[in-house]
Amino acid sequence: MGQERMEGGRGGGAGVVKKQSATTGGGGRPGGGGGSASGGGKRWFYIALAILLVAGIASLSYVAARPKQSVSTIDSTIAPVPNQGHVMGSDSATVEVVEFADFECPACGSFATLAEPDVRARLVNTGLIRYRFMDFPLSMHRNTWPAHLAAWCAAEQGKFWEMHDLLFMNQDRWNGEATNRPDRVISNLTKPLGLDMGQFDNCVSTRKYQPQIQANVNEGIRLKVPSTPTFIIGNKRIAAAVPYDEFKRQVDEALAQARPNAATKATTTKGAPTKAANTKAR
Amino acid sequence: MTRRMLTALIALVGLFIALYLTLYKVGIIGTLACGTGSCETVQLSRWSTFLGLPVAAWGTAYYVAVFALALAGIQDRWEDSLRLSLTMLVVTGWGVVFSAWLTYLELFVIHAICRWCVVSAAIALVLFALALLDWRATRRALRSADDRPTHR
Repeated sequence: MGQERMEGGRGGGAGVVKKQSATTGGGGRPGGGGGSASGGGKRWFYIALAILLVAGIASLSYVAARPKQSVSTIDSTIAPVPNQGHVMGSDSATVEVVEFADFECPACGSFATLAEPDVRARLVNTGLIRYRFMDFPLSMHRNTWPAHLAAWCAAEQGKFWEMHDLLFMNQDRWNGEATNRPDRVISNLTKPLGLDMGQFDNCVSTRKYQPQIQANVNEGIRLKVPSTPTFIIGNKRIAAAVPYDEFKRQVDEALAQARPNAATKATTTKGAPTKAANTKAR
Repeated sequence: MTRRMLTALIALVGLFIALYLTLYKVGIIGTLACGTGSCETVQLSRWSTFLGLPVAAWGTAYYVAVFALALAGIQDRWEDSLRLSLTMLVVTGWGVVFSAWLTYLELFVIHAICRWCVVSAAIALVLFALALLDWRATRRALRSADDRPTHR
């Protein structure tokens, strides 16, 4: 395999012997690729490699072992959420699910577009739960306040949930990464909803519903909402954009706590909705 | 420390970043540590898969390849290998092209920046620069070795 070449002398005296691999297809060279490493250099390299490996594996193991969603029990001494936010569903539903969300948060958008259609069809429209949306705009999202104001102004004309869906579906068109003029983009997106645009634009520009949004934020802070989206289902606080199956499991638990036979009913009510959604802003 | 050793260490850092994003993509990690949340926008976009696999998984394979090549390159057997230098140059060059395309998508199509992806793109660029220097040094050294008269 290897063919040896003597440099700087004959035989094994003071000459440097370099191994020339047959695979190189060329002559050997002093120094090697990028300079040859002394034994000490290699030792330091392997030490650095070992440190990196341990640190990397430990970090990945730590983040992988962390629970994917944060579920905690709510302090029972805290009063129930007062009648605010936007509600979808029957007043007689056994369980109310409260979502604290930010219109510009990608995880909220992911939940709204992937899991929420099932939640509405299978849990809200069947009368099992009532769904309350609470504003929780985060300061890290620079275009989120115009979106929340727009949603409230659409609610003024009875179109909150339509606007909610429209904002989440088009998040990448009006968010802070996409535009510096969210009001204009959202106003253009809103046109198909058939709102009175004069009233709508005036409502948004005067920030008419800012106090209500701030009240919802304060409620979230009081309930120790850690991130968005956060769901309050029964006595559980779930801080993650959970998939539908996990959402329903939490609802089943809450129903079982609320009325012993409810869990059985929940597991058998799948498929087409039996009752239209009762949507209203409160 | 040689260029190839440096390449191996930097590729290992890139490997862990790509692995982190892959674990998120396949659902093992719940949320990404990303200040503004744009990482998730990018990772949940339709551009986050390539040929049926998560882009992050391709990144993981890329870093494994560069790491393995660099590690082989510091062994005595391949220390002087021009072929290995050239392979590293081609692989890291492809990494730069792919990263540039992904960065273009982030800036002009998805309109969101994933910080981990930016770090990965920077690493890909550094790896290419190191591979280029290594290839030039190897070629130059081989030429000078060939020109040197040998004792008979």
